[in-house]
Amino acid sequence: MSLKNAISRLGRVPAVQKQFNVFTSLNHNAEEELKKNDLNGQEAARPLNNLLCAIKDNIATKELPTTCASKILEDYMSPYDATLVKLLKAAGAVNVGKTNLDEFGMGSGGTKSHFGPTKNPLFPGKDMIVGGSSSGSAAAVAADVVDFALGTDTGGSVRLPASYTSILGFKPSYGRISRHGVIAYAQSFDTVGIMSKEISTIQKVFKVLDKSDPKDPTCLDESSRAKLQTILPQEQRSKLRIGIPREFTPSGIPASSVKKFLSIVEQLAAQGHQFFPISLSDIKHSLPIYYTLAPAEAASNLARYDGVRYGVRDSKYDSHNDVLFAPTRENFGEEVKTRIVLGNYNLSSEFYNNHYIKAQKLRVELIDEFDSIFALPNILTGSKGNENGVDVLLSLSAISEPTSISEYETGDSRNPINSYVNDIFTTPMSLAGLPTISVPTGHSGEPVGVQIVGQYGDDDTVLNAVKDIW
Amino acid sequence: MLRFTRKYGFKAVQEEFSLLSEYKLKCGLEIHTQLNTKNKLFSHSTNDPFASANVPNHHTSFFDVSIPGTQPKLNLEAILFATRLAVALDSEVNLSSQFDRKHYFYGDQPLGFQITQHYSPFAKGGSMELTNIIDSIDQDRLQIDILQLQIEQDTGKSVYRDAEQMSLIDLNRSNVPLIEMVTLPNFYDLKQIRSFIKKYQNLVRHLGISTGDLETGAMRVDVNMSVNDNCRVELKNLPNTSSIMSAVKFEYERQVDIIRHGLTSSLLAEPETRGWNGAATVKLRSKETTIDYRYMPDAELPLVHLSKEAVAGVRASLPKLPDKTIKNLMAEPYNLPLKDAKILTINASGHEQQYTQKELLDFYLESFKLYVKQAGQKSSKLLTNWTIHELLGNLNRLNLPLHQAIKVLPPHKFAELIALIQQEKISNASGKLLLFHILEQTKDSQITQPVDLEAIIEEFGLSAVKSVDHEELMRMCSEILSSVTDPKMLSGITSGKKKNSLKFLVGQGMRLSQGRVKPKLFEDTFKKLLNANW
Repeated sequence: MSLKNAISRLGRVPAVQKQFNVFTSLNHNAEEELKKNDLNGQEAARPLNNLLCAIKDNIATKELPTTCASKILEDYMSPYDATLVKLLKAAGAVNVGKTNLDEFGMGSGGTKSHFGPTKNPLFPGKDMIVGGSSSGSAAAVAADVVDFALGTDTGGSVRLPASYTSILGFKPSYGRISRHGVIAYAQSFDTVGIMSKEISTIQKVFKVLDKSDPKDPTCLDESSRAKLQTILPQEQRSKLRIGIPREFTPSGIPASSVKKFLSIVEQLAAQGHQFFPISLSDIKHSLPIYYTLAPAEAASNLARYDGVRYGVRDSKYDSHNDVLFAPTRENFGEEVKTRIVLGNYNLSSEFYNNHYIKAQKLRVELIDEFDSIFALPNILTGSKGNENGVDVLLSLSAISEPTSISEYETGDSRNPINSYVNDIFTTPMSLAGLPTISVPTGHSGEPVGVQIVGQYGDDDTVLNAVKDIW
Repeated sequence: MLRFTRKYGFKAVQEEFSLLSEYKLKCGLEIHTQLNTKNKLFSHSTNDPFASANVPNHHTSFFDVSIPGTQPKLNLEAILFATRLAVALDSEVNLSSQFDRKHYFYGDQPLGFQITQHYSPFAKGGSMELTNIIDSIDQDRLQIDILQLQIEQDTGKSVYRDAEQMSLIDLNRSNVPLIEMVTLPNFYDLKQIRSFIKKYQNLVRHLGISTGDLETGAMRVDVNMSVNDNCRVELKNLPNTSSIMSAVKFEYERQVDIIRHGLTSSLLAEPETRGWNGAATVKLRSKETTIDYRYMPDAELPLVHLSKEAVAGVRASLPKLPDKTIKNLMAEPYNLPLKDAKILTINASGHEQQYTQKELLDFYLESFKLYVKQAGQKSSKLLTNWTIHELLGNLNRLNLPLHQAIKVLPPHKFAELIALIQQEKISNASGKLLLFHILEQTKDSQITQPVDLEAIIEEFGLSAVKSVDHEELMRMCSEILSSVTDPKMLSGITSGKKKNSLKFLVGQGMRLSQGRVKPKLFEDTFKKLLNANW
């Protein structure tokens, strides 16, 4: 990518921002930083030089506010950069700005932001949803103002908006990219994801970010990474064994989506890949498990926002009816409050051995089931791998195509249960921490994405498979 | 109808307290101890909870302040310290324990939860024995069983400024490692509680894992108690031993009163938490206001995996435990009385001492070995007395740390000094002068090398007069007697009515001879001169 090209992209940012509400704050030094990187000859060799990126606003940056699109962190400045922000900077990428999201990552539409909904650049003037929660990051890529964007994927937050905007959205294996500086929503799921239109860009960025980090206890350490190398295939297989889970073909999916999915299957089969029907019966528990665990973790993680040390604080009172910090915490948005209440309910001691613990056990069972169908071992669980297993799984990314913002906000999806159902294709991989990428099925105005899913740690196979579709 | 109400909870503790046999007290303790690791439990900030007075919020990392996006990083030193304690208490170390979050809101609780160990604590079981001989309890022995040990974070500190309607928050203490130890309700009198606390304090000091001080809050004791197996009451906010004792006494009498008036079904039906306000226990929480902590396994912190070998390694590295040391010191060849054995073994307080217990004990044992070689075992009491009374007394008076004194007066020199006294090569009085002189010079850094005792004795002419010239002695004594202006005193000595006055004369003689003549010689000579035949 050339400097000239990058600068001309930057020039389009204000208009794109006005039209689609992509960013929560903009880096006004971006052009200067690009030129400085270009002047420094030695640094021109850096892997991401002249590349523009956007960073989801739940990732800590020192130079721009980090708000999580929440009133409670309005104007909050982080005293440090997230590890991934440092790595990107060192690799030469220039950050255009922080991107809009569903508050704290909670939402599937990209509509539940303190700064207003993000609009889908594929449908100018139509006010269609982008999908969430990494709505601004997807929109920035779709609108061509950046080469790539960083998002976070907790239950599908990178893959769903990627599907709705016809771009690539990659959620690596849990633990490959440091979460230090990523503001936790549900950290046993939260995974930094990379969005772009180019698979080569995603691969380059992943290479930069795929590092151990002693500051993040959940980031794979060097010894686990070394162990991983010993089990991964030495050479990329040209012919893959691809599984299609029965449970991912429910009724009620739009015929157009099914058609596109089947055309991808045909395309892959024509290239010599083999298909296998498989069954993962525990997948039906995914949503209940996810919506038991994720809100519980959220309720816990968001307990720190009391206004005492940072963030917005109620100007008059620290408590209401003897409930400490209630006036300040009133500033959370409705969806966040709903999930905090749900999470606390799930954790309450009224339920013997609370729901959280039960859901954790079911999560382990689901992971075991995934292990049973993959050919590759799993270094985390110690599964040896199934000799006759598959290399990757293929499924749709979403059960629906994007709707208008007004319909999303007033229709059935306003009901939490309905909007949560939207996550049915994405949460199982989040529960198992599997590398997954959403790939567009075409360039048309009906965005539909398919997911390629690999065994834990087998991110490269997933990324390499993309070239056969996109 | 007439009614009368009693205000339970506002009755002062009676002067004379005694447990009544028909009202059985049952207590368990919950003790929180700050571990004195270098760093905090989950961050790299310095663990110095007492810096607060000068620099509030100084020792705080981003994690301690719960800055968004930061993560905990387990300090392995805390795991090592906890393992030491668990092994010393014979607890079974959990080879795969986990951390959980305990949720509640408070101004000095930055995360909105405390990281603790709820579902799978660090160690379970174990015990500590109290005995009549060592711990002065009334029973021969009593075993206190331990329920569990868990590692957790301390909170920050709130300073209440009521006048300004404000509280100040200091997070220096936030994320300091704590170990919570819970006993079974094995205590049934106050002495047992007091002895246990003392012994536990000494144990953590001995293991080098905590200062163990109640005064600073490095150790905090909660008491669970019930009377006649009624509902359990938990006593909190007990800043020192005397408030622990007073609170238990008060609460015992309060509950006995309730039982006597047949009010258990209304007043002792549900567990409650009470605090101590200095004069009375006051209700803090009951069942209706209990907080649901919504425990959740921490999703970021990995399980704490320990190998059996690691635990065995810690066990092997533990210093000898105090009870064992005391028993050894009380037996051959030392034969110390309990009191002296305790001084050499048990740390009275965690700080403001001129020595660590280990330093002192090692010094004593080494000196003992060398002394016995020179002077024989029979007179070993002299060495003990000089160690405990003269040496420690001087160190305290001079504010001189033992490790510094040892540089000038290592065990072999100290043993030599005491042997010189024992062999009457210098007098007791000269020995005292000499010891003080050496330590004073050490303090002033005038001597930094092991001292040459013979040279100093020579220099000050302190060596005992070996053969006292009889004439000379008679002359000195006559001189002293002629200066006495009170003839009644002399006649009192002669008659034996004022035996103590003889000591006055001996003192004069010691002064005149600069302590180089043994007092016994003066005593005999004076008696001879005064015809005192008693």
